[in-house]
Amino acid sequence: MLCFTLLAAGCSTKQVVVEGNFPKPLLDPLPITLGVIYPSAFAEHEFFDEAKGRAESDWLVKTGEAQVEFWDILFDGMFDEVVHIRDWETVQRRAPEIDGVLIPAIGDLQYTIPTHTNVKIYEIWMRYEFRLVDIAAIHQQEDGALSFNPDERLAAWPITAYGKTPTAFLQTDEEAVNLAAVVALRDAGAHFVTSFGATPDVAVWLDGIARREQDAARSSSDQAGDPQPVVDSAEASPTGGEPDSGETL
Amino acid sequence: MSGQRIDRQTTRIAGLILLAVLLGGCVNATVDEMTYNEPVAGIGESSVVILGRRHKPDYDTEFDFIECIGDHIHSGDPSIEVINEIAFINQFYPWFEPRTAPLQPQTIDRLLQLPPVAARFDEMKLEYMIWIDGNTENTESTGSMSCGIGPGVAGCFGFGTWGTESEYEATIWDFTDKVEVGRVSAQTSGQNYMPAVVVPIPIIAPVQGTACDSLGDQLLEYLSAFH
Repeated sequence: MLCFTLLAAGCSTKQVVVEGNFPKPLLDPLPITLGVIYPSAFAEHEFFDEAKGRAESDWLVKTGEAQVEFWDILFDGMFDEVVHIRDWETVQRRAPEIDGVLIPAIGDLQYTIPTHTNVKIYEIWMRYEFRLVDIAAIHQQEDGALSFNPDERLAAWPITAYGKTPTAFLQTDEEAVNLAAVVALRDAGAHFVTSFGATPDVAVWLDGIARREQDAARSSSDQAGDPQPVVDSAEASPTGGEPDSGETL
Repeated sequence: MSGQRIDRQTTRIAGLILLAVLLGGCVNATVDEMTYNEPVAGIGESSVVILGRRHKPDYDTEFDFIECIGDHIHSGDPSIEVINEIAFINQFYPWFEPRTAPLQPQTIDRLLQLPPVAARFDEMKLEYMIWIDGNTENTESTGSMSCGIGPGVAGCFGFGTWGTESEYEATIWDFTDKVEVGRVSAQTSGQNYMPAVVVPIPIIAPVQGTACDSLGDQLLEYLSAFH
């Protein structure tokens, strides 16, 4: 019975659904209305690693829910307003206010545990790919799904994140991997906050928004009381609402 | 014949247990201190935060060690307000993460240029920021122990021993002047024993606890007007 239990323990799958409490960032929010699309591969992200030997276990690490929770808190603290874009109706209704749409993706996730490395540290490493597009670049496909043409992006940049946690008395492998994943998420947020404005294409986009706002403020002070025409950028787009062969979200 | 051998082995194990009990709990500690501008009248209504360094690739300073030092200082002088480390890091997210935490006191000025960060520091009335760098590790182990299980019987027999070493350095930053005002370090080591005659009995040397007490005493002496 004991032997059977030991054998079964060696072959079982260790599953971690990443959970944590994530703090709100201490920042003055940027005066930007940001659209955010979490592609299903991101919102339901999981990582599976098959055991390489009898002594090892399969690992399934589900980060999707924690990713969405974490980035929602970060974006809410970092930008004046965040609009979650889940359907075409939101694109059409909110297009005039949205300055840009951010689409995160997880490019790679790697982990190590002490049984792999003989080092008493659990580690998680992630590489994100962030893409910033104009709302006009978001299209609707025939099946209703949203897509965008990758060539129409305003900026694309990678963010790497690293989290580690040492072994601790009475701590299971699963708890340690969860803790390392939470540290990696926090590191991703810190990296994002400190590199966002320094990314060249993002800096150009931010300058453009600042210039537009200055012009608008100047013209409104020049022509006080005159109503300004509102351009719906989604409607103005030549391909708005048309089926598109871009990247499905 | 085999009965005699078991008796001899039991006597040897009993001798080792006695030796272990005599030696157990023995910890060597070395403390170095170099401090300036001691607040002779104490820190008044200001507060102190103690933070662990976690940017090195091969170790993290343990959260429970930082908590131990904070508790040691607060219990030695209840008038000193020690801010909880995790609460502090969360309140200042993302500015005290391993990637972003200031490594030099001068770089705090850069953080204070951010209005919400400056406002929160003002609220806290922070006087000293103490960074602790180091960790506790188990070193070489020797001995052997075998355990068995049978119908209605289970037990272990043997003897194991291993060492533990702690090395920590506390760097004190004066938050008002943005300068380093002192360093205190503690190195401790001890030997742990695990004799087993049916039941293993761990005799653990309080290496990390001694490092906490040594470092805590020195920091208390620096911060408190009563020590």
